[in-house]
Amino acid sequence: MFDSLRKKKSDPTVLSDMLSKQRRYDSLVRALHTDIFRYAYWLCGDKQVAEDITQETFLRAWRALDSLKDDKAAKSWLITILRRENARRFERKQFDYSDVEQEHLEDVFSSSTEDQTEQYWLRKQIAHLDIEYREPLLLQLIGGFSGDEIAQMLSLNRNTVMTRLFRARNQLKDALEKTSTRGQANG
Amino acid sequence: MDDLKFRRHAYADPNDQSVEFIEHLATHPQDAKRVNELKAFDEQINAALNVDVPNDLADKLLLRQQLTVHQAHKKRTRYLVTMAASIAFVVGISFSLLQLTPVNLSQQAIAHMNHEPKALMSDKDINYQDINFKLASIAGLKQNKFINQPGRVFYTTYCDFQGVKSLHLVMEDEHGKKVTLFIVPAETRMHLDAQFADEKYKGKGFESSDAYMLLVGEPDSDLEFVQHEIEHTFI
Repeated sequence: MFDSLRKKKSDPTVLSDMLSKQRRYDSLVRALHTDIFRYAYWLCGDKQVAEDITQETFLRAWRALDSLKDDKAAKSWLITILRRENARRFERKQFDYSDVEQEHLEDVFSSSTEDQTEQYWLRKQIAHLDIEYREPLLLQLIGGFSGDEIAQMLSLNRNTVMTRLFRARNQLKDALEKTSTRGQANG
Repeated sequence: MDDLKFRRHAYADPNDQSVEFIEHLATHPQDAKRVNELKAFDEQINAALNVDVPNDLADKLLLRQQLTVHQAHKKRTRYLVTMAASIAFVVGISFSLLQLTPVNLSQQAIAHMNHEPKALMSDKDINYQDINFKLASIAGLKQNKFINQPGRVFYTTYCDFQGVKSLHLVMEDEHGKKVTLFIVPAETRMHLDAQFADEKYKGKGFESSDAYMLLVGEPDSDLEFVQHEIEHTFI
């Protein structure tokens, strides 16, 4: 109570502080919610859960917004919160989600064209990737982070990250080539 | 850069901008073609990763935050109200406790003497009607009055006995010595001593017409004379 009294400034300053915090948060949400939601989706494989995690992430971000000094670091900051939030989901016993539930991967992409069929298969393959290969790939492609940044965010060394990225692409390519061979064989 | 190393680089990051990698591509057109394929493949993966985001997600996020702020604000207001109520409560309690503490009139009277030496310097001659006028404005002494001049009165003022409004008079004894009289409305928490004294003054307490009288004078003044006079004029 006394802390807040001491910090008390004249009203207009407080008001404008709050306004600028609100504005900062608004732009953060608008600019990054898409990436954060997609990242969450590929971590957990369920749209509803991804939305919940995104909510929690942004709520925590709001509470801790003052600790974000550099707006350029906002994305990696949010992803760090998101990963922690996702990990917490497994600590809480009542949520008994496994990692991406491949069989339930939403079939919203009715395969009318060849492109969409291929994309559906690719989605399945991405979901099939081990999380340790999938996550660096998500960070690289959704997050746009460099090998060094990914290494830092995942607390791994850079070589490990590069190896995992290599294996992730390799596995996807292999899987897709096998599918297309099978497709041709069937056809 | 051998083929294995090239493959590792290309698959880990087809957009690798390291000098080594770019030089390798410049000299190996076949590998450059493979990298372009990989880049195209990345496009495909990217397209696959771009799952649809619920349309109203951004609005939902903002709404949830606004609600949280609102809740926090409400909680803080409630907290402040609770705080204010507790403080008011404590103040109220201590105030009434203060009102209930017994008052030792003798000590108060002596303390008054020491605080107001100027009262004894006064040389006026005040009519008892003026004193009655003052008495009338003191709760608890409204019914009391002097029916006659109680000897010469040099000085009169209101004073405060631990929150109780009282009257302070300076009178004269038989030998012309100044004697101070305090008239205090009778209250149960007051403690009245019949005799009291310190190094400079001696005092006498008595009750007259439902009011406490405290006479304070120098050790050789004749308090009984003044008491007698008061008992005959004050009703």
